[in-house]
Amino acid sequence: MALNASRNDLASGALFVALGGYFALEGLKYDFGTPFRMGPGFMPVVLGGVLVALGVAVAATGIGKPDAEAAPAWPWRGIALVLGTILFFAATIRGLGFIPVVLIAGFATALSSSRNSLLAALVVSAGLCVLCLLIFKVGLGLQLPLFGPWLRF
Amino acid sequence: MDLISSLALGFSVALDPINILYCFIGVLLGTLVGVLPGIGPTATIAMLLPITFTLGPETSLIMLAGIYYGAQYGGSTTAILINLPGESSSAVTAIDGYQMARKGRAGAALATAAIGSFFAGTVATLLLAFFAPPLARAALNFGAPEYFSLIVLGLLVSIALAHGSILKALAMIVLGLLLGMVGQDIYTGTPRFTFGVRELFGGLNFVAVAVGVFGVAEILRNLENEKEREVGVKAVTNLWLTKDDIRRIVGPVLRGTALGSVLGVLPGGGHILSSFASYSAEKRLSKTPEEFGKGAIEGVAGPESANNAAAQTSFIPLMTLGIPAHPVMALMIGAFILQGITPGPNVINEEPALFWGIIASMWIGNLLLVILNLPLIGLWVKMLTIPYRVLFPAIVLFACIGTFSINQNIYDIYAIAFFGIVGYLLIRFGCEPAPLLLGFVLGPLLEEHLRRAMIISRGDPMIFVERPISATLLGMALLAVIVAVLPSIRKKRNEVFVEED
Amino acid sequence: MKTIVKILAASFVAGSALSAVTVMAQDYPNQPVTIVVPFSAGGPTDTVTRLVAAAMSEDLGQQVVVQNVGGAGGTLGAGQVAAAANDGYTLLLHHIGMSTAPALYASLPYDPMTDFAPIGLVTEVPMTIVARKDFEPASLEDLIAHVKANGEDVTYANAGIGAASQLCGMLFMNALDTKMTEVPYQGTGPAMTDLLGGQIDMMCDQTTNTTSQILAGEIKAYAVTTPERIAVLPEVPTMAEGGVENFELAIWHGLYAPAGTDQAIIDRLSASLQKALADETVGNSFAELGTYPVPASQATPAALAQKLEGQTALWAAVIADAGIAAQ
Repeated sequence: MALNASRNDLASGALFVALGGYFALEGLKYDFGTPFRMGPGFMPVVLGGVLVALGVAVAATGIGKPDAEAAPAWPWRGIALVLGTILFFAATIRGLGFIPVVLIAGFATALSSSRNSLLAALVVSAGLCVLCLLIFKVGLGLQLPLFGPWLRF
Repeated sequence: MDLISSLALGFSVALDPINILYCFIGVLLGTLVGVLPGIGPTATIAMLLPITFTLGPETSLIMLAGIYYGAQYGGSTTAILINLPGESSSAVTAIDGYQMARKGRAGAALATAAIGSFFAGTVATLLLAFFAPPLARAALNFGAPEYFSLIVLGLLVSIALAHGSILKALAMIVLGLLLGMVGQDIYTGTPRFTFGVRELFGGLNFVAVAVGVFGVAEILRNLENEKEREVGVKAVTNLWLTKDDIRRIVGPVLRGTALGSVLGVLPGGGHILSSFASYSAEKRLSKTPEEFGKGAIEGVAGPESANNAAAQTSFIPLMTLGIPAHPVMALMIGAFILQGITPGPNVINEEPALFWGIIASMWIGNLLLVILNLPLIGLWVKMLTIPYRVLFPAIVLFACIGTFSINQNIYDIYAIAFFGIVGYLLIRFGCEPAPLLLGFVLGPLLEEHLRRAMIISRGDPMIFVERPISATLLGMALLAVIVAVLPSIRKKRNEVFVEED
Repeated sequence: MKTIVKILAASFVAGSALSAVTVMAQDYPNQPVTIVVPFSAGGPTDTVTRLVAAAMSEDLGQQVVVQNVGGAGGTLGAGQVAAAANDGYTLLLHHIGMSTAPALYASLPYDPMTDFAPIGLVTEVPMTIVARKDFEPASLEDLIAHVKANGEDVTYANAGIGAASQLCGMLFMNALDTKMTEVPYQGTGPAMTDLLGGQIDMMCDQTTNTTSQILAGEIKAYAVTTPERIAVLPEVPTMAEGGVENFELAIWHGLYAPAGTDQAIIDRLSASLQKALADETVGNSFAELGTYPVPASQATPAALAQKLEGQTALWAAVIADAGIAAQ
């Protein structure tokens, strides 16, 4: 590693600068107001600016101090499958309904662990489906169709 | 004595076998639903509210109070076992509670939470019985400037939440404050940071943010090195507290109870600060602050006591003035009205049996909670023996369904995914999620009170130092900063000294 | 493997679809009916809905479930019902906000007039003009003179743009042709807290929130916004008595089904609503809240349609006058 700085500090600093910058720039579009009647833009611009400054400071403290430990591997499979499942859940829960979504989502999340085989993932998703049905549908009376309008002919 | 006879009346209502039964059912249901990931106390109560409609007024409100305690305790259980807080107070419990669980001390953490809550609940109930009306009057002296100063103090003190870099903790708080600004501005109606999505006009859902930055981020963390090590919890050592544990929690429980009782009375956001303030206080007072964040039992005992005390005293403004301190109290008002009782200053005189019955049942509810939960600890801890590869798909699914069931809003689910990845990145880079959540819940309050104070003062910032309570709070905030900065200045001076040597 | 799941799913669905076809207006309702409240549980609209729902379940012989879909000033819940199946099993109970939404929200995904089938009015909750208990003016006349004289020095609390409390304030300022300093809150609950603590001067809110405080002497009541004095607050004059004409405001609540719902179902629901509103417990509970159920002649589709149309026109004008831009 030729870089003589903490990758963690640089990365988190950059993330803070980016997020703070977004809030501050977007906040500029809203009315800033006067001290008497502060507008909706006041707090976002001020706090966004503070966050950018803090981000720069965080990055600066990392210079000259390389991380003690090597960064762990990126869990690409987990990121893709776990986040993908959540997005899938949100996109289809109204359309497909409870049972298909829970089955597919349970199956996909279980597969994000390399320790689960296909069969294990199937068993997990079927088990979870029954459990969720019992808890949310029977127990709590959640108002959600078991099969959604997309599956009606 | 008037008070004695009032309390006797209260206990005669609360000890009615039917009422005890429903109180117990409430505590049990509240615990069971509150334990589900993604469902915090507010959601639990909203879901279980209809069950109470068919009962008589006393019975129904007693059961509701039971549901409330049960839900609160259930939420802490989830925070400790799987690092998934359902509301802001249990985000604090999660910091050290989850670390204790990972070290095989989940039993001790749960027992601490139960005992601390019971003690705090008992003291706060007594406070409620003896001093409710004057306390509520005193709380009304808090206007926008006072709340603003209180929140500033809370934010500055809470930097202690971090066990790593203070700069990063500050940045996380500010990021949280900014995230709290998402949604329609109440002053002008302008939608901010909503991308034109009307589902976001009401702001981001707390549960979605918490599930993302705590739960999902933790799962991704655990998937990092999966090939090399089995993640999850070490073998459970013992379920109960050791003598040393008991010695260590006495102070935090007492201090947490005191802090929580005071803050809970303030209807404009005091209860939110209670657990954060208690955690900060314990860390500062501790001889071993480095243990905080790595499974310090004080970090569970103090905040849990503070939270429960505040939960109890937040009934004070509701029962004596009819004003709700937080969403749970608003639900309670709805329940009162459905029972044909309009909460307000007259309840105490017009419905003494109800007023004192509820107070007495609060204590009984707390007692039942302990009796119910101590044996349950063994069961909860057993859950941890489920292999992680089975547990985490369950967490993800439960969290999605639970969050969806609160408002039927699919953008809450998208938010889980977004905050899952942002939270994961930030945690990977050495930041901690608890300060972010604190900022998130306090952000809207900070802005609201600042802007309101400025409107009331017609743009004169002197209002913050001219009003005595506000000035005192700001003075304390200044002091907190000085105390926090002093050691590092001294350290620098020492370093300089060493170099000269 | 997924195909197996799909086939299984499809066969289930075929079964449920068949049963759906047999649902006819004649045997309506044969499953629980859901009423969506576009606000969070525990609020005044939720309370009104739950009282009515309980009475309607008895009449319909089916459970009537209340579901809270809050957010964006009630437009999210309303939008959800507008898009729901028009089979009579998903209904909406919304208040005056139904008529103000078109003026306040730029891109409503539904049209309140055409996307809903009105069932009937439920209640009209009067508003009260109240102030902190040590506010100087002694009577409504004094108050009007005081506000005219002090203008922006008077602080007026409301629950944000489009809230009933804000609409009432707009009307009040229009009527007096003056401006007060508006102080918005998250809801009228926190606003009431500050009014009790004397942090602000005035507010205008529904009797559901103010009656108990007024009766306890914690706040001062200056006027009610109805044409007649109301039973729970006989001492409080009407705005007309104070010399302010054409100041009438009540937070009306209506029950709606999605447009295209079978007329027989609408009639059945309307009859059930009328029966619920005539119920003694409902009447008593409403009275506790400082309101009353509308007479049976108002709990009809025609009455609600007329109300909605008139109010939508009125508020469009008032909101445009106040210079509030749609978001």
